[in-house]
Amino acid sequence: MRSDRIVIVGAGPAGMRAALVLAGAGLNPVVLDEAPASGGQIYRRQPRGFTRAYDKLYGFEAGRARALHAAFDADNRIDHRSGTLVWNIEGRRLQTLHDGRPETVEFDRLLLATGAMDRVIPFPGWTRPGVYTLGGAQVALKHQACAIGRRVVFFGASPLLPLVASQYAAAGAEVAAVLDTTPLRAKLAAMPGLLAGGKTGWKGLVYLARLAARRIPYRHGITPVAALGSESVEGFAYTDASGRRHEIECDAIAFGYGLKSEWQLADLAGCGFEFDAGNYQWQVVADEAGRSTVPGVYLAGDGTRIGGAELAEIAGERAARAILTDLGDTGQGAALAACARRIGGQARLRRAIERAFPFPAPLARAIPDDCILCRCEAVTAGEFRASIDRLAPHDVNRAKAFSRVGMGRCQGRICGPAAAEILAAARGVEVKEAGRLRSQPPVKPVPVAAFADAAEDAA
Amino acid sequence: MNTADVIVIGGGIHGCSTALHCRLRGLSVVVVEKDHVARHASGVNAGGVRRLNRHPAEIPLAMASAALWQRIEDLVHDDCGYRQTGQIRVAEGEPGLAAIAARRRLVEGLGYSHEQWIGPEELFELVPAISRHCLGALWTADDGHADPTRTTRAFARQAAALGAEFLTPCRAGMPRRAGGGWQVPTDRGTFSGAQVVNCAGAWGGAVAAALGEPVPIEPIAPMMLVTARMAPFVDPVVASFDRMISFKQSPNGSVVIGGGWRSRAEPDANRAHVEFGELHRLIGTTLDLFPVMRGARIVRSWAGIEGAMPDAIPVIGPSMTAPGVIHAFGFSAHGFQLGPIGGAIVADLVESGATSLPIEPFSIARFAGQAWREAS
Ligand SMILES: Cc1cc2nc3c(=O)[nH]c(=O)nc-3n(C[C@H](O)[C@H](O)[C@H](O)COP(=O)(O)OP(=O)(O)OC[C@H]3O[C@@H](n4cnc5c(N)ncnc54)[C@H](O)[C@@H]3O)c2cc1C
Repeated sequence: MRSDRIVIVGAGPAGMRAALVLAGAGLNPVVLDEAPASGGQIYRRQPRGFTRAYDKLYGFEAGRARALHAAFDADNRIDHRSGTLVWNIEGRRLQTLHDGRPETVEFDRLLLATGAMDRVIPFPGWTRPGVYTLGGAQVALKHQACAIGRRVVFFGASPLLPLVASQYAAAGAEVAAVLDTTPLRAKLAAMPGLLAGGKTGWKGLVYLARLAARRIPYRHGITPVAALGSESVEGFAYTDASGRRHEIECDAIAFGYGLKSEWQLADLAGCGFEFDAGNYQWQVVADEAGRSTVPGVYLAGDGTRIGGAELAEIAGERAARAILTDLGDTGQGAALAACARRIGGQARLRRAIERAFPFPAPLARAIPDDCILCRCEAVTAGEFRASIDRLAPHDVNRAKAFSRVGMGRCQGRICGPAAAEILAAARGVEVKEAGRLRSQPPVKPVPVAAFADAAEDAA
Repeated sequence: MNTADVIVIGGGIHGCSTALHCRLRGLSVVVVEKDHVARHASGVNAGGVRRLNRHPAEIPLAMASAALWQRIEDLVHDDCGYRQTGQIRVAEGEPGLAAIAARRRLVEGLGYSHEQWIGPEELFELVPAISRHCLGALWTADDGHADPTRTTRAFARQAAALGAEFLTPCRAGMPRRAGGGWQVPTDRGTFSGAQVVNCAGAWGGAVAAALGEPVPIEPIAPMMLVTARMAPFVDPVVASFDRMISFKQSPNGSVVIGGGWRSRAEPDANRAHVEFGELHRLIGTTLDLFPVMRGARIVRSWAGIEGAMPDAIPVIGPSMTAPGVIHAFGFSAHGFQLGPIGGAIVADLVESGATSLPIEPFSIARFAGQAWREAS
């Protein structure tokens, strides 16, 4: 058992906790992450020389962040390789770029804790400088204490919406408005579930109260119209629940519709997928302990199922204990059951969050024809619809071949959900019938020069 | 029972072209495709429309096909993304120059003049971005490239518009004799026809084997790399006589790199994975030839399943064991350009049992009686 090479991809809460559990059992896990430091998105650390305090950086999560950082940093059985982008999986080998140089990392057991990214619906003007995702806006603030603008509009449907807006307000940026695409009715219907969900549910209310205290308008049931401006963002236009048009002056916009699992590596590893109706997206199939359908490949955290940092950490522990069990350790039963209980206890809250910030599929289906859908390949929604009308693709991979939507550097991670909705609308089917874009290596762009240098080294 | 004059197995470019040309001759056609049209080699190839450096036996066919590419829009009512950018094959060293000299002797000896020698100055003028170590090249000015999916679909669409029936997804079982004709069992019932055409690509060997004439076909998986979009810097498709590479910039700016690097094909699982193991050599060649590529980023890769014959030319022509069956498969990684003419040849054979193009070298008979055994 001791000789098994265990590799964890992702040094967020799921990957860090898993590494700690494995190290605690006497193993030496390798942890790979493309970021310069551990922490993942939520517990992202500030660059060297920055000195903000934990409670300033992580708010309610400061204690948890501090504990995890400290334990992870102190454990010298963990081989953490930061600055390592894993861009391909071939059999039992990971292909990586470590500080820009190609390196192969072999594994016997692999835990994918690859996290999530913002889910986006393109809208007119979204490619203008000054438009960010909610997560991107948060990273700018958390990592380098930068705001994306002086006067910012936040919109979408995401737990990040009230959170990031209140973080911006607290940091001294002017929050022009917070505009939620979810109708007030739906939000109220989700309230009991949120409040029954314990601390996490109440935190959401605190953010709302903080926004209200600063007299920042929070509107429900809005529909985005456009990011205005001649070059960069100068304003935001939307219609309210009664259909009236409004324009707000601003120099930056942050938007998003919840999170989307980063599962490209799981796809390359050959893992099975299923459409999750609650989360309204494709997720990697995992058993109750985080085992994927591929023997030796495990999953934890938002990369498997969106649930947030607390759940990710438990899922990381659980996957680590599943690995220990599979390595022959028969003493993990009780701890595994405890993890399962804690995760199960959050199920209701999770459902409530999904209902409070639902993905507005009709919005995606109604993207105007002249709006850019795939920004990598510069394809408009109208061009995409025309190719569907002409060539009748039955799934998104075919649609991609016909239209180039999803062929560019993001491989459809950004435009994919909206493209699938448009295709489903044209075919008159549910979005899951439109299928899932297959991943191709490299999962993120890899500079040609890196290979060349490696070839020279080898020569 | 369903009947047609011709039952075509396979909806790649050769199956679709066969369907179109049969319809143009008034024959009724059913195409049976186990996945969907253009799912395999025909939809994922590099799109090279190339006569340059073809096997001598293929030159007459490639010339005839080039004539059809010239008027592709008349044929299929779609321009297929076809662009006559030219194709260039450079010499990077003495071996390359020697290969060019031998090639010129061969091609000119056969009476062709489509492959022209260009010296360094002319090369650098045609391809300013190419590295100055190149010593010259062979050039076909009116070769080019097209969009493979779009082309194959256009053939299918036009064939269907003229009345061909396409069954997709629908797997064909092995043909069996019935009366004077043939029956093909499929997922959607049995079809009977006077003639059967085997356009099953990498799977074509299975059909031939079932008819008692096994061939040494190898399923291969050529790999391609794609970069993020770059400002336009090269027009023609560029290859080398010294190293394995095929290089072109798409109209949208992305650079597509291939050249015959192969990974493992899994035809039974419909899968071909990209294996990056050796591709760093391809990337090295890329950088040698185009220094501007140092700033490029690879964003995707893919591999497609193709059938390769040991002599690298396809099987085209009537079955030796099964009268009424015609083969057109195993195009060995360069059958896209031959698509437009391939269907015309098959339609000739269906209609009259003969064609005016010289297809003897492609006969399946060349493998009969040979002492070979399929690997595994
Ligand atoms: C990556 C790559 C790059 C290439 N680049 C070029 C290039 O630049 N220029 C060029 O000229 N050529 C190129 N080629 C080669 C070219 O793509 C092929 O030679 C050509 O497409 C072959 O066409 P086909 O119709 O014979 O085969 P395919 O397109 O493979 O079609 C055969 C079809 O038959 C179907 N089939 C098989 N068995 C059955 C069954 N039992 N029932 C029903 N259906 C069945 C399959 O599903 C398949 O769709 C390339 C190939 C690849 C893979």
